[in-house]
Amino acid sequence: MAEFRLPANSRIRTGVTHQAPPGTREVRTFRIYRFDPASGENPRLDTFELDLAECGPMVLDALIRIKGSVDSSLTFRRSCREGICGSCAMNIDGVNRLACTTSLHDLGRQIRIYPLPHLPVVKDLVADLTQFYAQYASVKPWLQTQTPAPPDSERLQSKEEQEQIDRPAACILCACCSTACPSYWWNSDRYLGPAALLAAYRWIIDSRDEATGERLDALEDPFKLYRCHTIMNCTDVCPKDLNPAKAIAEIKKMLVQRQS
Amino acid sequence: MSLRSPLGEALGRGAAKAGVHHWWVQRLTAIALVPLASWFAVSLLAMPAHGYATVVAWVGEPWTAVLLLLFVVTAAWHSQLGVRVVIEDYVHGCGMRTVLLALSTYLHVLAAAAGVFAVLRVALGGAA
Repeated sequence: MAEFRLPANSRIRTGVTHQAPPGTREVRTFRIYRFDPASGENPRLDTFELDLAECGPMVLDALIRIKGSVDSSLTFRRSCREGICGSCAMNIDGVNRLACTTSLHDLGRQIRIYPLPHLPVVKDLVADLTQFYAQYASVKPWLQTQTPAPPDSERLQSKEEQEQIDRPAACILCACCSTACPSYWWNSDRYLGPAALLAAYRWIIDSRDEATGERLDALEDPFKLYRCHTIMNCTDVCPKDLNPAKAIAEIKKMLVQRQS
Repeated sequence: MSLRSPLGEALGRGAAKAGVHHWWVQRLTAIALVPLASWFAVSLLAMPAHGYATVVAWVGEPWTAVLLLLFVVTAAWHSQLGVRVVIEDYVHGCGMRTVLLALSTYLHVLAAAAGVFAVLRVALGGAA
């Protein structure tokens, strides 16, 4: 059956509290999920009080501040700090989003930070994305053609054809969408999830690609595709304002249309 | 523990080449149920009385019987498709899932057959 409760060794306990130094002007409280597999202990929720005046405006700035001056063992992924690498995706105040593009001023005085939901946790806020990447690879996210490339030019697209793939191709694979999807929580071993399906769609509608039929064949499956019940959590959380739910609906439509 | 590659896991047993029919029929039956269920509800509400004789006379009318048959069959069909999705979503053991899917199909066919029989019996004058 689907698991509705965390296993005993994953249940979260109360951790340590790091109080803000006296004289702090603008205090924000961060309650952050901590888990160290090497310790053999259950995960805990640590509390960090931070002076907002001393750190940058985004959640990632606060995390870097905590790591730099309060607890250097706090572990998280980050790279570009401008919403294009997708590394710092995490669950902030119950919503999957990028720490680097989430402003502290849009959040309350208490901010809860957890790793992306329903994935194995490597350490603290770092989730294991191995399966997520494998599912992305399984949709063959590259151009497949039979026609040889023109010898002296690129494979051309019209402006309209490019516009078709423009938005879907902007996916940064942060995994916010897939890990916000209950169908993905219950059946991620077989359901590809919104991110991989958006990638599949991006290649299905690419005017230069010649494997459209094979791509649709590979998705025609009760689990790989049809676990999507269009609740649109994916579209709701996408930090790049993409629409995986619509892409999935379009794939379903194409599968019906090619039958009659 | 499995040493299978992540890509191998993701590819699994490949695509079942199924699901389109299920998805499409679920939509078709849903659309059909909008007028059928509305008609059923309005008819019941508009009935002057709900005594045995009134209802038997109502079911005995040809169009009522035809629409009732369609309603019973479509509702059972739609429900079977829906319950199948719920079982596939939440029941993970392959054996348990297969047993529940079979049971659900049998029960829906049973419900549909009983409904059809009841309507026909009343409509065709077999009721005492």
